[in-house]
Amino acid sequence: MRALDSLTRLELCVLDALVVAGQTTPAELVTLVRAAPESTTSALGRLLDLALAWESTGGLRALTGVADAMAGVRGGGTSGLHPRSPDAPAPAEVQRRLAEVSPAARTLLEHVAEQGGEATTGTSRHHVSVADAATPAEELLARRLLVPRSGGVVVLPGEVGLALRGGTTTREPVDEVPEVVTSERSVSLVDRAAAGAAFEVVRRVELLLDQWGTAPPTALRSGGLGVRDLKAAAVLLHVDEPTAALLVEVAYAAGLVATTADRDGNPAWVPTDLFDTWSGQELAARWTGLVRAWLDTPRLPSLVGQRDPQGKAWNALQPELASATAAEARRMALEALADLPDGRVVATGTGPPSVVARVAWLRPRRPRTRADQVAAALVEAAALGVAGLGGLATYSRALLDGEDSAPSLAALLPEPVDHVLLQADLTAVAPGPLESALARRLQVVADVESRGGATVYRFTPGSVRRALDSGWTAVELHDFVGSVSRTPVPQPLTYLVDDTARTYGAVRVGAVEAFLRSDDTSALTELEHHPKAAGLGLRRIAPTVLVSTTPLDVLLPRLRELGGAPVVEAPDGTVHVARPDVLRARTPKDRRTPSGSARAAAHRAATASAVVTAIRSGDRAASSRPAAGAGGAGVAPLSPSGSLAALREAVESRTPVLIAYVDNHGTSTERVVDPQSVEGGQLVAHDHRSDDVRTFAVHRITSVRPVEGSP
Amino acid sequence: MNDGPLIVQSDKTLLLEIDHERAADCRKAIAPFAELERSPEHVHTYRLTPLGLWNARAAGHDAEQVVDTLLEYSRYAVPHALLVDVAETMARYGRLRLDKHPTHGLVLTSTDRPVLEEVLRAKKVQGMLGARIDDDTVVVHASERGNLKQALLKIGWPAEDFAGYVDGEAHPISLLEDDWTLRDYQRDAAESFWHGGSGVVVLPCGAGKTLVGASAMAHAQATTLILVTNTVSARQWKDELVRRTSLTEDEIGEYSGSVKEVRPVTIATYQVLTMKRKGVYPHLELLDARDWGLIVYDEVHLLPAPIFRMTANLQARRRIGLTATLVREDGREGDVFSLIGPKRYDAPWKDIEAQGWIAPADCVEVRVTLPTDERLVYAVAEPEERYRLASCTAEKTRVVRDIVASHPGQPTLVIGQYIEQLDELAASLDAPVIKGDTPVKERQRLFDAFRSGEVGLLVVSKVANFSIDLPSAEVAIQVSGSYGSRQEEAQRLGRLLRPKSEGKTAHFYTIVSRDTVDADFAANRQRFLAEQGYAYRIVDAEDLPA
Repeated sequence: MRALDSLTRLELCVLDALVVAGQTTPAELVTLVRAAPESTTSALGRLLDLALAWESTGGLRALTGVADAMAGVRGGGTSGLHPRSPDAPAPAEVQRRLAEVSPAARTLLEHVAEQGGEATTGTSRHHVSVADAATPAEELLARRLLVPRSGGVVVLPGEVGLALRGGTTTREPVDEVPEVVTSERSVSLVDRAAAGAAFEVVRRVELLLDQWGTAPPTALRSGGLGVRDLKAAAVLLHVDEPTAALLVEVAYAAGLVATTADRDGNPAWVPTDLFDTWSGQELAARWTGLVRAWLDTPRLPSLVGQRDPQGKAWNALQPELASATAAEARRMALEALADLPDGRVVATGTGPPSVVARVAWLRPRRPRTRADQVAAALVEAAALGVAGLGGLATYSRALLDGEDSAPSLAALLPEPVDHVLLQADLTAVAPGPLESALARRLQVVADVESRGGATVYRFTPGSVRRALDSGWTAVELHDFVGSVSRTPVPQPLTYLVDDTARTYGAVRVGAVEAFLRSDDTSALTELEHHPKAAGLGLRRIAPTVLVSTTPLDVLLPRLRELGGAPVVEAPDGTVHVARPDVLRARTPKDRRTPSGSARAAAHRAATASAVVTAIRSGDRAASSRPAAGAGGAGVAPLSPSGSLAALREAVESRTPVLIAYVDNHGTSTERVVDPQSVEGGQLVAHDHRSDDVRTFAVHRITSVRPVEGSP
Repeated sequence: MNDGPLIVQSDKTLLLEIDHERAADCRKAIAPFAELERSPEHVHTYRLTPLGLWNARAAGHDAEQVVDTLLEYSRYAVPHALLVDVAETMARYGRLRLDKHPTHGLVLTSTDRPVLEEVLRAKKVQGMLGARIDDDTVVVHASERGNLKQALLKIGWPAEDFAGYVDGEAHPISLLEDDWTLRDYQRDAAESFWHGGSGVVVLPCGAGKTLVGASAMAHAQATTLILVTNTVSARQWKDELVRRTSLTEDEIGEYSGSVKEVRPVTIATYQVLTMKRKGVYPHLELLDARDWGLIVYDEVHLLPAPIFRMTANLQARRRIGLTATLVREDGREGDVFSLIGPKRYDAPWKDIEAQGWIAPADCVEVRVTLPTDERLVYAVAEPEERYRLASCTAEKTRVVRDIVASHPGQPTLVIGQYIEQLDELAASLDAPVIKGDTPVKERQRLFDAFRSGEVGLLVVSKVANFSIDLPSAEVAIQVSGSYGSRQEEAQRLGRLLRPKSEGKTAHFYTIVSRDTVDADFAANRQRFLAEQGYAYRIVDAEDLPA
């Protein structure tokens, strides 16, 4: 079967012709296949190599079992003809008989031939002479153009089928490889368009994983990436969701992202340590790493967001989203592109379907999804920069041949730059990808406004403050900005940095446990330098204020020990008078209700009457119960069907019954009820004990007995 | 890699390095489809928008041309997704078209039936379409032409308008180029408007937009309605038209609060058109008073909302919008484009300056520090009071005096928002003041005196923000404004930009109180000009040369 799957349509047809012909010679085989003789011969050579055909002493034969295997897949490149009869008449004889049949019979015959060469005959007699034939079917049978088989089935013999198709197994030529529809594009344009995409892919993967490194998305329980997280990634990267899914999948295939437990212990998607190695590489090498992984991965990123047969949407990174044939389909699609001459590219619109058709000719058999996979591979190749404008980039050819594509790609990618252009509107433009150390520093002092081949940064008071927060000084900022800029630093920027630095830190915030203030600065000085106060963590923040890292309840006694007479201040600044608190509890309330009130009396009466009702009902239940040992029949628990019958009877006769019922706590009770209806496993009945209409589940009723004394 | 001047970003911005030798060619090549967003000194930013791409389609460019231009000038490889997006966006244009049908009037037709079906089901266009004539044709109510086009634009299926324009009542108008000639950019602007049919021309203040309007009228050769912001500006239009064209005083009518004349060329103010009495606009009839062949909207960025609605009904007439600053703080720039027409011409301020048609300007932001007692008052003031407090500090009066003193003999304008502040300044500087309640006659007299040099210093309120032609002004000092309005800032600078004798530089001072909302608003106000390449210097009041 595997060997069959790897055959082209031509090879399959040759093999099929061999099956139809039975045992034959190479010379005859060539006449049976509608193709150029040399292509048939070379296809035959391949079949012999694969041992799907062999030369017996009597002539060429197909391997036994091939016929069955081929028949298994409908339309899989086979002609649908049956093998020739062993005693087949000469083609000329068959032609003669065909010429004699009536038009109706001819039409019928052709219909049978197109429908797989088999038909049922219904009431037709199988053994008639031509003269007696009453129907077209009978006529065909009489002329032996159809041959009866067991079970009322008639079969079109191979030789007749061949004759119908003009002596060959198919009407259409089978050695015409579908051509890819192309248009013209210069190689350099293709390369540049593809390299543009390649650059973007690397930049986006890096941006995404940098983001995931600090804010990882959680992994779904099924192992995938949530729809919301995929959307967020698409927004971050300025791409649509399918492209975002592709980038995520490619990063995963390249081993740059994996699951690990996040801070709360839930599984999350984070970059791997390989990512750090990867991001240190040259751009071209990074791209090659990603695309090699894509070429070989069994994953199917194109299905993300679509629905599986159960109607559930596929998530990115979901483990099941893979196919063994994906890598092969991808490679075949790319090879179809690689086969195009230089300067020709797949045309927009009609081009991709023609690539699909070509691949379908090369591998006509399974799987059915191959067409989708090929179409998806073309889209993905364009998105990843393997191809551009419908043509395979020069550097990708090297990659397909297993060579290193990095040098030829590197020549197309922008060179890293080490400077920016500063402008008076407080933007800085880096006219190319910045060296990564420089980029990271610049990201601290300015906000990124636009990304791509170049990067636009904007200086704002916020971004300058952020830089000051992370330890820069105004002088360092001036020096840095001056050193990276090719153009003079605009005055507004200098002013912005100075102005922000001027107000920076004007208000200082810190945490202490207590403060000490006094108008007597000498007293504070004395306290600050007192040898015994060393452990109190006192610090002077103003002439009249000391702060301490010691909590108040420890500080206060220590200060008193040192001879001071401190007063505690409340949060609102008032003096807190230190007086020992005297403890008090609340008086417990008397919860007993005074007896004798009218309401209590009514309540008691109602309770009593309910108790009496219940007791009486219990008495009735007890009285209807057969005396222990007497008779003994009917005490055994009933089966549900038994209870059903008994209950239906009670409903019809409108008699009360005694049921034993197990409630959902497992407690068994006995009740006297008036059954009203039994439906859907539920008994609706008037329950004497609760004096209410209740619903009982029939399967919980263990016994049903008539109440004694009732009519 | 290719040594081009253009960098194409994946967020659809185009960065053009202007010091590059091919920058000028590149600008010309991308101008038809990309919109200029910012033009500071080194790198200009353009943006690809659907609107821009559709306008390019309307002007006869196809997607392949756009893609090839990008690839040709781009320094780096162009993102594939962007190219695909350009092609897809441009392919959406022209699937629908508006035509004149011999029997049904205006109809919407489509070559792509699914698109038509989608559009017919869209909520936004419901009520604008009439009966369906056949599978591909639907009747459009004639009055909904503008609204329909706007709605179709919003749902992403712009219609190509083949229904044409009415010619209007013919009236001969020609330019009298005796002692002057139309500048190249003015001619280009007028011509690209005329070929486009309708649209907006964006030129810096002082670059002679009136002449672009006049030139458009000369193209149209028809009766014209000109809508302007105020009466003073209406008079200026009239004077300019009488001087530069074959029109005589008698052919030009003014339609304002005081005079109501309807003549072959009528100049009306927005104010009188939008005046509402008992829930109706009594002067709207003016629009139908004659069979106008051309409607000119001066300062189109100020177009008030009722005029927006009226304009929607005028789609069969040619319209030209003139502005220096197409930024609206209400974000309705898009409505201007879809109702008046797309941007037909746009020139960076610094380019016109380099050609010598507008004066170079030195913009200085002077920061004053509030005295401690005012700072305390500011700190505890209600938020809505803060801007007024910060703007009107007495400290500014002192600084204004210093600046005025440092420019002796140069005509100077002091511009502010708050009347008390202006009165105080006028008293302190001993200068006349023009405010909202100054009668038109008095205004005219003062402006004339300023132009002739009799008066060297004027204190003006926001009435002088727009359209007032004061060619002699060399120094402007701004003490307060309407919060963070970008276009007000640009218009005020615009008062100074008429070319000066001997190529002198104009001086534009903004006085700002440090560490207050005043400074925050000033930063926002300056954005437009900074993006046009005006570099503000920031100095502290103490450092001013005395």
